[in-house]
Amino acid sequence: MDQSFAIQDTLEKGDTCLVAVQGILVSPYTNESRLVGLVKNRETLAIFLYKHRRMAICADDVSLDEIIPLAEGVIIQQVMPAEGFYVIGTDVTLRIKSLDIDIVMQLPFGSHTQEFLRRVNQPIQEGLPAFPSQQFVWLRKYWQRNIPSVNSLFLNNMNYEEERQLSGLDINLVSDLEADKMAMNGQWIKANERVDPSRSPQMSVRHNKTTFTDLVRSADVLSANKAEMVPFTKFGLRDNLIKSELLKNEDTYISIQNYRFFVGTYNVNGQSPRESLQTWLSQDSEPPDLYCIGFQELDLSKEAFFFNDTPKEEEWFKAVSDGLHPEAKYAKIKLIRLVGIMLLLYVKKELAVHVSEVEAETVGTGIMGRMGNKGGVAIRFRFHNTHLCIVNSHLAAHVDEFERRNQDFREICSRMQFAQADPTLSPLTIHKHDVVLWLGDLNYRLKDIELEKVKKLIDSRDYKTLHKFDQLKQQIDGKAVFEGFTEGEIMFQPTYKYDPGTDEWDTSEKCRTPAWCDRVLWKGKHITQLEYRSHMALKTSDHKPVSSLFDIGVKVVNEELYKKTFEEIVRCLDKMENDCIPSAALSQREFHFKDVKYRQLQVQTFTIHNDGQVACQFEFIRKLDEESYSKPWLRANPSKGFLTPGSSMQIELEVFVNNQTAAALNAAEEKIEDILILHLDRGKDFFLSVTGNYLHSCFGSSIQMLCYMNGYMRDTSEETITQLAQMPLQMKDNFLGAEKPAKIPKELWMMVDHLYRNASQQEDLFQQPGLMSEFEAIRDCLDSGYPESLPGSNHSVVEALLLFLEALPEPVICYQSYQKCLESIGDYSSSKEVVSMLPLHHKNVFKYLISFLQEMLNNSEKNHLDIKILASIFGNLLLRPPPDLPKPSNSDKRRCQEFVQQFLQPEDP
Amino acid sequence: MAKKTYDLLFKLLLIGDSGVGKTCVLFRFSDDAFNTTFISTIGIDFKIKTVELQGKKIKLQIWDTAGQERFHTITTSYYRGAMGIMLVYDITNAKSFENISKWLRNIDEHANEDVERMLLGNKCDMEDKRVVPKAKGEQIAREHGIRFFETSAKANVNIEKAFLTLAEDILRKTPVKEPNSENVDISSGGGVTGWKSKCC
Repeated sequence: MDQSFAIQDTLEKGDTCLVAVQGILVSPYTNESRLVGLVKNRETLAIFLYKHRRMAICADDVSLDEIIPLAEGVIIQQVMPAEGFYVIGTDVTLRIKSLDIDIVMQLPFGSHTQEFLRRVNQPIQEGLPAFPSQQFVWLRKYWQRNIPSVNSLFLNNMNYEEERQLSGLDINLVSDLEADKMAMNGQWIKANERVDPSRSPQMSVRHNKTTFTDLVRSADVLSANKAEMVPFTKFGLRDNLIKSELLKNEDTYISIQNYRFFVGTYNVNGQSPRESLQTWLSQDSEPPDLYCIGFQELDLSKEAFFFNDTPKEEEWFKAVSDGLHPEAKYAKIKLIRLVGIMLLLYVKKELAVHVSEVEAETVGTGIMGRMGNKGGVAIRFRFHNTHLCIVNSHLAAHVDEFERRNQDFREICSRMQFAQADPTLSPLTIHKHDVVLWLGDLNYRLKDIELEKVKKLIDSRDYKTLHKFDQLKQQIDGKAVFEGFTEGEIMFQPTYKYDPGTDEWDTSEKCRTPAWCDRVLWKGKHITQLEYRSHMALKTSDHKPVSSLFDIGVKVVNEELYKKTFEEIVRCLDKMENDCIPSAALSQREFHFKDVKYRQLQVQTFTIHNDGQVACQFEFIRKLDEESYSKPWLRANPSKGFLTPGSSMQIELEVFVNNQTAAALNAAEEKIEDILILHLDRGKDFFLSVTGNYLHSCFGSSIQMLCYMNGYMRDTSEETITQLAQMPLQMKDNFLGAEKPAKIPKELWMMVDHLYRNASQQEDLFQQPGLMSEFEAIRDCLDSGYPESLPGSNHSVVEALLLFLEALPEPVICYQSYQKCLESIGDYSSSKEVVSMLPLHHKNVFKYLISFLQEMLNNSEKNHLDIKILASIFGNLLLRPPPDLPKPSNSDKRRCQEFVQQFLQPEDP
Repeated sequence: MAKKTYDLLFKLLLIGDSGVGKTCVLFRFSDDAFNTTFISTIGIDFKIKTVELQGKKIKLQIWDTAGQERFHTITTSYYRGAMGIMLVYDITNAKSFENISKWLRNIDEHANEDVERMLLGNKCDMEDKRVVPKAKGEQIAREHGIRFFETSAKANVNIEKAFLTLAEDILRKTPVKEPNSENVDISSGGGVTGWKSKCC
């Protein structure tokens, strides 16, 4: 019976008891009965436990004992009783755990328990609100009023919560300790799920387990349509893989081919070009393939320094272009300038097509360490398959500043960064190139040697001796600068400092010591220096230009071999990608459920094994146009999950026919037949076939059909059942000709008659739950006619009777009369009128049941039944709102009971 | 030289009666291998393969479907989104050929309107057991205006050709934006353009 009214009676306005169930609170000392109610306020729920009198009807019969808010951290888990034997399908044992409560409840087999579990599970699956929080403040009144010994933690937190609201501070109130506790709870569940050996596959309650086995909560619900599931890998990753594989296998498709590079450097001392540069640039008989030409001190004016704008750029560019080797045509690839430091890159016109990925950058190291009067400029590019970087630098001046020059070099190296075409890649630095050519006025001087001695060594062309005093050589030898770079042997006289227009050494006041300021160095493989020289003929500047001629071996791609390598890599990657598609094996794909019976769970288990190379996420998915992944009588448990490579998981397929699904199966409109789609995320889909046969049952069959059926349900042919199921509700008695229909279903008669004979004096009738195993025997007896009399205790027969009424596809008071019944309440004669208008067999059943109940009431001294109890039980069984109406409100429920109550009251004399 | 690893993604679908060799056709194309043991495909599986057509890297994602009749209503829901469908029959199995019209109707009802179709008569290595003459296959293909190949996954006959042809037909219908070809950066910072390379 529905005891939620008693609970509702205790609640404040705005709070509703959704469902109540009477259960046993299990403790080591004693087992006590508790009324368990699920109470709702707005969006939050709490479980209320009441001590109660037998058959609680109103608030006076119950007293609130405990409140468990359904909040984050609460765990409700079905467990096996620790001891005592376990009868399949009897009680449901629940462990309810929250921050400070840990109790075990036994709930009886039956529809109230089912309803309770369903209602509790739904919010748990959807995610519970945090506790304490403002949402749960409504519970406070109950705690304070009803539970004097209430745990202080809750109340304290509640107060705190309010203070928090006042102060407007947003503090996370869940202490670390509590969080730890919750985490441990989580572990407890997982461990329990994995190892619980006592877990029976035949549990009658199916819902609560799934909450915790859904390890992959965030799994996307994917549509069955594969067309929308195309993007399955980041192709960028694949791109980079191909690139790195191509690089790794470069040797298979490239050959080294020499190209001639002319590298020149010239400090022009702010002068404009006044003489042809051919003596510098076109001295060799063969035209070089590439020109890398660097200038320093292009313009010493303030304008150039502050605005980086100078007419000299154009002048010198033109001079260089005019001075290039006349026997070849050249294309300018790039010009880059920072104040007076300029770098030009030319390539033979016909080779330009092999130049790509050109980038240029500048780094100033002058005044404030940033300005462009000193520093470097650089051009990086790809020539065929070789990456080159050309740097032109003008380092700090003055004899003693060699440390400063070293520092400038390091600055240029670290700050010179080239953007890459792919913005996700980090920028390239100078050293990340196959070939680096470094030229410029590096400004290193001759040290610790007197001017006279220098001039003497120069006159005797003993550059080798002189070179020992060169700061750059000393610094390189000391690994202080230009590490990894090479410089050719210097066979020319110092290029600094001359009186402009002459080949005379500096005669100015300062009278500088000559020095090899202007240099060319290189780094990389396959580089041969052919020439390293100065050009004395040019007299415009106080420096002489320097040039170096190189043969550089460049990686040239053989297109055919490249294509072959590329295709091989693509094939390999395709294979890898195919291997990385999630894969799994199922131990079984066809499932046959034999002799499925009403309310009898059947379970079959299969194993899913991840036999692929990657983790896989699986989920049963909906078929197109279907609401759920399976028919309502079928469930997979778990319905989704996550498997690491090599691991396995057991999946249970559960078939359970309940009141909602029985009618269609009984009427043979629906069969035990389904195909499930088990989808691997980013992978294949498996189809699982489920077949079986259903043993038709009177449970879930219509009154009409049962009255017209001659034999027992299981003896009746499918054909007859289909025929009977299609009968209209109101009809004449001579349907199907042959035999007269029974007045009421014989199955109903068998149960009622059994109770009438055996149970009228039974104590606690209608108040104790039946046993599942006995119910099954009763069901089988009603459906097969064997054994001749009903087995099981009176309580189990009562349970069967109630289930029978609950499962009727059309309730005793037909749906269409429901509203009229409610309206007729208070007017007994009009209520009788409504009943008299019912279809014949429904009317018979109603009258029959009422007279049975009246008979029971005649024995109320023994069986303790009263009108209120019976009306509350049968009111909501005989009257049910049509399925298209919303669930009945509590007042509607009460009115249903009042309706039945009218018929149970002794007639006025 | 920095080429993108694929330019287009084509989704292809293999359909046809159970046992005609759809899985073997796919396996031959993707892995260049053949397996004689018959394992009925109970579900939907796929493989990928990258091919180059007209200078474009095309990634083919090929879906293999269950051929068994009881799964037909489910498998048709996978048609949508396929850009090409290969309809396979077995030249040694008359029934599989008779069902072609039914499969074609299925395509009409469930696939995208502009889907590219192709008919394959598989197992053409088993000439001694042939019951469907090549001409009949050609005829029905002509009637429906679709391409036809006789193939053998076992002897590797026409498999690659069939897939590449189907992909080409799809490519022809696909509007392709011309990707910018790689150019040498001939920047004209200096303003002197007299002998500037014109290689673009």
